[in-house]
Amino acid sequence: MILTILSVILIVAGLVFFFGAAVGLMRFPDFYSRMHAAGKGDTLSTLLVISGFALYQIRGIHDLSHDWPVLLVVLKLLAIVVFIYLTSPTSTSALADAGWEDGIDPVIEPGRENHLEDDCRRKKTPTAQNPEPL
Amino acid sequence: MKAKIFASIAVAITGAVLLYAVSDFPRFGDPRSPANAGVEGGSPSASLYYIENTYRDTKVPNLVTAILADYRGYDTMFETVVILTAGMSIFAILRVLRRDDAPGAPASAPDSSDHSIDGDHHRIIVATTCRIAAPLIQIFALYVVAHGHHSPGGGFQGGVMLGASFILLALSGSLRDTLVRFSEQQYLRLAFIGILIYAGFGFLPLWVGRNFLDYGALSGLLMTSGEEMARSHSMLGVEIGVAMTVMSIMFAIFANLSTRGRLHGGL
Repeated sequence: MILTILSVILIVAGLVFFFGAAVGLMRFPDFYSRMHAAGKGDTLSTLLVISGFALYQIRGIHDLSHDWPVLLVVLKLLAIVVFIYLTSPTSTSALADAGWEDGIDPVIEPGRENHLEDDCRRKKTPTAQNPEPL
Repeated sequence: MKAKIFASIAVAITGAVLLYAVSDFPRFGDPRSPANAGVEGGSPSASLYYIENTYRDTKVPNLVTAILADYRGYDTMFETVVILTAGMSIFAILRVLRRDDAPGAPASAPDSSDHSIDGDHHRIIVATTCRIAAPLIQIFALYVVAHGHHSPGGGFQGGVMLGASFILLALSGSLRDTLVRFSEQQYLRLAFIGILIYAGFGFLPLWVGRNFLDYGALSGLLMTSGEEMARSHSMLGVEIGVAMTVMSIMFAIFANLSTRGRLHGGL
């Protein structure tokens, strides 16, 4: 019973973060903040949801000698968690890098100092995806 | 320009012939088409035969693998040959075989095309993750190859995953480092060995006077309890051959396309 409640809490929390990631993807102003929302939100929510699934599966283990296939499912789910934890942030990083390389500028709030030119060693090429900062 | 015109004419003619052939197909989902009909002229149709008898004949629960690698073994063998031919065509068209461009040659001039992203510290994240992930991908690919009898998978899928793991290494690190581990000589050799394994499983039954690719004849050689298990095991062997060819050709195509046949620099 406790395990069920815990798993439901985890899955619902994961869905909340999924929702946040989707909203951020739609609403954020530029490539990098959208990337940030999608990457972080997706990673955490997938983590939570799949951990919830794993907990839900553990419920079914009463006698390990008989129920070991369930344990196998749990281990597979945990393996998925580990792989997503490794690969999803990496792909986010690679995408953000590619955007930077391609010359996409982040949106800077008006009035804030733009530090980009200081540590920016890339060759800037104006492109269509490179709008004027707000 | 002339080559382009000839190529366009060839493509147009091939397309017209294919479109003409479409009109002879049975309608989609037609219950009376030969593939779907349960009984045709008193004898059960091919599909019904496979559904009812595959497990009895081959002890392979996955119908698709059994049809692909056993009943329709000829087809799959030449599909693998088609993949090999595609790889060889790309090799023949793109590969630049000049001495100074050989991949093993010491890099005298700095690689102009091998630009890293904004210094190396950005790249190390991707490279490290891919280095960790590649062996896991390869283990899973071997599982897909070996488990093709019981679950979706088999030689083509597993081979593509194996090839993709090498492509991932080449993309995240550098093609030069990947070619040290999986050199051109090795992948070309493996591609042909894969076909030879498949054809070898086809020729062995001829030895004892059976048909080409009639795996049941191998029960003595493979020391199995019956002809069914011999067919099952031979399918695994054939799948391994397919996986070797597909893996090698995948990587060969990537290496040649991404570097315009020079095998250094590139993406």
